[in-house]
Amino acid sequence: MRPRLNSQGLITLAVLLAVAFLVLLPVLFLVEESLNTGDPMAFPPQQYGLANYLAMFEEDLQVIINTVVIAVVATVMAVLIGFTLAWILTRTNVPGRKKLERLMELPYYMTPLVGALAWAVLASPKSGFFNQIWRWLGGTGDLVNIYSMFGIAWIMALFEGTVAFVMIAAAMKSMDPALEESARVMGASKLRTALTVTLPLVMPGVLGATLFVFAEMLGSFAAALVIGIPARVYVITTAIWDSTLSYPPAYGRASAMGLTLFVVMFAMLTFYRWVVGRGSFATITGKAFRPRLMDMGRMAWLLFGVCALYVFLAVLLPIAALLLTSFQRFATALLGQAQYTLANYELALALGPVRTALANSLMLGLGVATTGVIVMALLVWVIYRSQLAGRGSIEYLVMFPQAVPRLVFGLALLWAWLNMPIPIYGTLWLLALAYFTVMLPLGVRTLAGVVLQIDKSLEECARVCGASWLYQLRTVTLPLLKPGVLAAWLLIFMACVRELGASVFLMGPNAKVIAPSIVSAFASSGIELTAAMALIQTFTVILALLILFRLTRGMTRELT
Amino acid sequence: MSAGATCIELRDLVIRYGEVAAVNGVSFEVARGEHVTLLGPSGCGKTTTLRAIAGLEQPVAGSIAIDGQVMYDAKTRRNVPTEQRGVSMVFQSYAVWPHMTVLGNVAYGLKVRKQGRAEIADKVERALDLVQMRHLADRPASKLSGGQQQRVALARAIAFSPTVVLFDEPLSNLDAKLRAEMRLELRELQRQLGITSVYVTHDQEEALAISDRVIVMNVGVIEQIGTPEEIYNQPRNRFVADFVGSANLIRGHVRESSAGPSTLQFVAEGGHVLEATAAHALRGNETEVAVRTAYIEIGKSNAVNQLPGTVRRRMFHGDFVQYVVDSPVGQMIVRHPPTNLVPEGEKVELSFSPEHCVLLEG
Amino acid sequence: MRVAGAFGLALLVGLLPSWGQAQGKVCDNPRQMPGFKTCADVDKAEAEGAFVLYSTDPEAGQVKLLAAFNKLFPKIKTSYVRLQAGALYAKVLSERQAKSYLVDVIQISDMGMILDFQKRGGFRQYVSPEMAAFKPEYKSQPEGYWTWGSIIMGGIAYNPNNVSAAEAPKTWEDLLDPKWTDAINVKVSNSGLQHGIYYMLKPILGEEYFKKFGAIKPRAFDSYVQQYGRLVDGQDKIIMGAQYSGYIEFKAKGAPLAFVFPATGVPAVSETYGIVADGPHPNAAELFIDWFLSPVGQQALSEALLLHSPRADVPAPAGSMPLQDMKLLIPADWHDFEKSRPEFARDWDRIVGARR
Repeated sequence: MRPRLNSQGLITLAVLLAVAFLVLLPVLFLVEESLNTGDPMAFPPQQYGLANYLAMFEEDLQVIINTVVIAVVATVMAVLIGFTLAWILTRTNVPGRKKLERLMELPYYMTPLVGALAWAVLASPKSGFFNQIWRWLGGTGDLVNIYSMFGIAWIMALFEGTVAFVMIAAAMKSMDPALEESARVMGASKLRTALTVTLPLVMPGVLGATLFVFAEMLGSFAAALVIGIPARVYVITTAIWDSTLSYPPAYGRASAMGLTLFVVMFAMLTFYRWVVGRGSFATITGKAFRPRLMDMGRMAWLLFGVCALYVFLAVLLPIAALLLTSFQRFATALLGQAQYTLANYELALALGPVRTALANSLMLGLGVATTGVIVMALLVWVIYRSQLAGRGSIEYLVMFPQAVPRLVFGLALLWAWLNMPIPIYGTLWLLALAYFTVMLPLGVRTLAGVVLQIDKSLEECARVCGASWLYQLRTVTLPLLKPGVLAAWLLIFMACVRELGASVFLMGPNAKVIAPSIVSAFASSGIELTAAMALIQTFTVILALLILFRLTRGMTRELT
Repeated sequence: MSAGATCIELRDLVIRYGEVAAVNGVSFEVARGEHVTLLGPSGCGKTTTLRAIAGLEQPVAGSIAIDGQVMYDAKTRRNVPTEQRGVSMVFQSYAVWPHMTVLGNVAYGLKVRKQGRAEIADKVERALDLVQMRHLADRPASKLSGGQQQRVALARAIAFSPTVVLFDEPLSNLDAKLRAEMRLELRELQRQLGITSVYVTHDQEEALAISDRVIVMNVGVIEQIGTPEEIYNQPRNRFVADFVGSANLIRGHVRESSAGPSTLQFVAEGGHVLEATAAHALRGNETEVAVRTAYIEIGKSNAVNQLPGTVRRRMFHGDFVQYVVDSPVGQMIVRHPPTNLVPEGEKVELSFSPEHCVLLEG
Repeated sequence: MRVAGAFGLALLVGLLPSWGQAQGKVCDNPRQMPGFKTCADVDKAEAEGAFVLYSTDPEAGQVKLLAAFNKLFPKIKTSYVRLQAGALYAKVLSERQAKSYLVDVIQISDMGMILDFQKRGGFRQYVSPEMAAFKPEYKSQPEGYWTWGSIIMGGIAYNPNNVSAAEAPKTWEDLLDPKWTDAINVKVSNSGLQHGIYYMLKPILGEEYFKKFGAIKPRAFDSYVQQYGRLVDGQDKIIMGAQYSGYIEFKAKGAPLAFVFPATGVPAVSETYGIVADGPHPNAAELFIDWFLSPVGQQALSEALLLHSPRADVPAPAGSMPLQDMKLLIPADWHDFEKSRPEFARDWDRIVGARR
């Protein structure tokens, strides 16, 4: 049968073209620039060659080694953290399980940038809070030094640990408890059961989480920027950053590095999909079992302590450190010596650019989240519900930005829009475009999870009742998607406000956003002012979220 | 074959899933007001056929016509979209929309057809009355039990007075007791409203109980079409005999030139001769007869076929007793009302008439 | 003959205005504003309503400077971007290539980049009435392309709480003492001041000096704010090439700091300002330059960033040593200075352990 060319087909074709333009075109620009061996500023390149790639292995070998070592160490730590927490919270009768699970989400709101700043305050040699207290207690030298490869890995692991936790916990929840119960019935102890039954069954999930986390670690930027550069430890992302910041800017070199990183991440993620055995990136479809909880007796309180310790290290301690610093004239942990002042907050709030940056970030978050969910809902419907021939390729395209590190994508956009005839470089429009593109995987994944849970027959029934495609979409599909749409909106909003990697390249004098402003303040202002700015950002986000939760609580309740 | 005018007509329908032909050349007609059931095991293509009538599956060959209008025709490349076919459907999962009330669900088809508010209210009320759900009209659909959802799905399907209603295993998610009740109600409703219905089920008991005609399907083709009695008493082949009801299948061959006006002689493996009947013209390749377990008497009687045997096992099923009896033609299974129980090990005589010993097609 | 003469005269008269322009001529009737003279069309500037500055100075200081300008002209909204010299210049060039004209005035602390930009035609010539007060070596020839906004110099700084007066360095050579290993910080290779320090000290102290300096493992930072901050909290002991204005700024806040002017001299470079061609707000740019180069503007700069003005009639920032009392080492040949940048960047990156 000849495919019908109707409103359905036309809209989906238009969407496909738009997504391809947003996602693929910048990468193509990047590929071209990576082969530029002549004047790095010339466009189109005058000379082509592989010199940039070769030079990478000659001159930047140390950078590559650093990247891999730090990523490996961070991944190991993050997976350990995630696994321990997941096991404690899904399989044991630790007290306060429900509350602890909610608390585990907090580090996600912290962002690695704020975490890195806080740990710089806590653990820098000589002046870090830990070291000050150590010396006050009579110790000599430094107890800890965050400015090291391990320090960078530590911060990365601390904040990525919560991602590992969510993924591994999901794997643990989908295990049939009867498998463990039959082992216990046959006489195996708790430990034996855990090692011989639970662990092997959960392994694929853990492996998947490891791959995913490793891919993210490779592309991590914030911690390496704040901690790595003073420590003279460069990783690929900071090397790319650095290349574009000197005169003359080495765009070719940066592009080559960015593409290499992208290829590696892409391979990792493909491997991850294969391991996990899913055809698409859509998550959570199966039912979750209610596993039988192991009674840990008095150990349960110890386990509670472990969870609490994580929250303490990842959230409470950093925030406390930053709070303390932001109210001081010169940062010190020795409260006796401190001089307190409100000047940092006065200055931070008075700085026009800070206010503008915050306003811009919030505005971008609102705009991108709102238009984003509408477009993404349409995309999700096309990919998972329509009969359109090319829908597999649309799914692939939409998930593509996940494999590109944000920083590299920002660079690609920079280069693409520097050389395209439409002058949106340096404006908020370019930032909006960038945010929308990098948020596509996140939004589509969230919405897909909801769409796949909607039984197809609900939509078919509407059509059998005589509803046209649009009518059915409006009266059945979209209303049922509401809770998912809300979740996606919130996630996108938060991600936009915290965005760093892509934004650093795309800002202009009138298009400043908050995360890069904090980074730039770190470079050119005192840590006290930076702490104040970081806290203002964190609390503004939390406040916005609380307001949104309030407003939408009624809406979601009636659907559950 | 059918009394009133033809309402639905399928000709040589073929539907593929990739390489596999899920429906492989299916043709049948449904008369107006008739209740036809597509019966078969999972994977036989019955649901696919049903969905094709609704326009939810895309065939590759054949034609479908409803009420004289061609809905699908491979030759003329005609394919009317679902929303314009005017048929109604009750889904296996009910597909009741959780974000609307009962009223909203039932009124949907009427709203789509842009009917007036008063008219809609009237028709919805009547539909809900028919399924005894009027008192729950304003309840959110997410708060209904399984049985209640089923009724709402039904009310929704008939609210806009369609001529054709398609049922996709609507009762399979209910427990046995409720299923039996709903079965009767459905049949009553269908008769009362004069709806032409095509019903899909894998439950042969259900199919026999409520259908005007049954279409037995297997791996994409039709095995037999007939009234429930025809299907039960004169199964065409091994599959139908085995799938519908329970039967003993005895292997052997037809004795040459033994065919009389109505009966013929069948030599079972082992030598015992049985008198059988055939519903089809003999072709010479027949090798089996089927004897329904319910039609075998225990004890001497006037029936032509007599088999001596020993009761090997007896199992009490409540409404009937099932005996496994060793006999010269092999193990025979006999179902009997739970009176006059015969102890295991006892020697008995099994008897059945030639009408109940049916020759199956080869 | 008379025709030829008249023709020649007409030619001369015709050429005069352009000749005058090429030589840089101030407008005929500069308008008197509170504290300064301007050739800009103030009404048009206010109609433009905005002004954008790119500068290497710390954000807090830029904000103060621009606030002072905004106080005089509330209708003109100001905005800025702060980046170190190399990064700033890279950004400006990238934007121009993209035909994205976002900036009105740029300040870069590396004269090499300034000259390069002038060669590329990046500056628009505007002769301000205030430029007359600047010595010829402090501005472009012909004037109006760029002008020195301030002079910055780098010496040695340390925290007397952590470094006793006895062991404190007094000369550049003292910094090579192994006891300072891992305890010195400097600026990144992007910095114009750092380039100037390297360029001026290398011939004086010899080739070996910076090789040995590398063994001390100095740490590089983007801004003097970070450098002085680390001195205060004890993470580093010494700043090599410490920016004097930073010292004054932190001292005013009460930080425990000491500054050394080695006898050899302190290298100094300029922070140079110029109007960018094709900028979005040309009239506001001219108005800003007129104000900025005047004593009022220079005073505002001094208060905002504690910088020394090239103008003789503007006093040094409060609590600081005036220019004439310092032994300044300023590069003589800026073109040579410009050419030396790539080699400096390579060598400096190696010294501080940066990527390359």
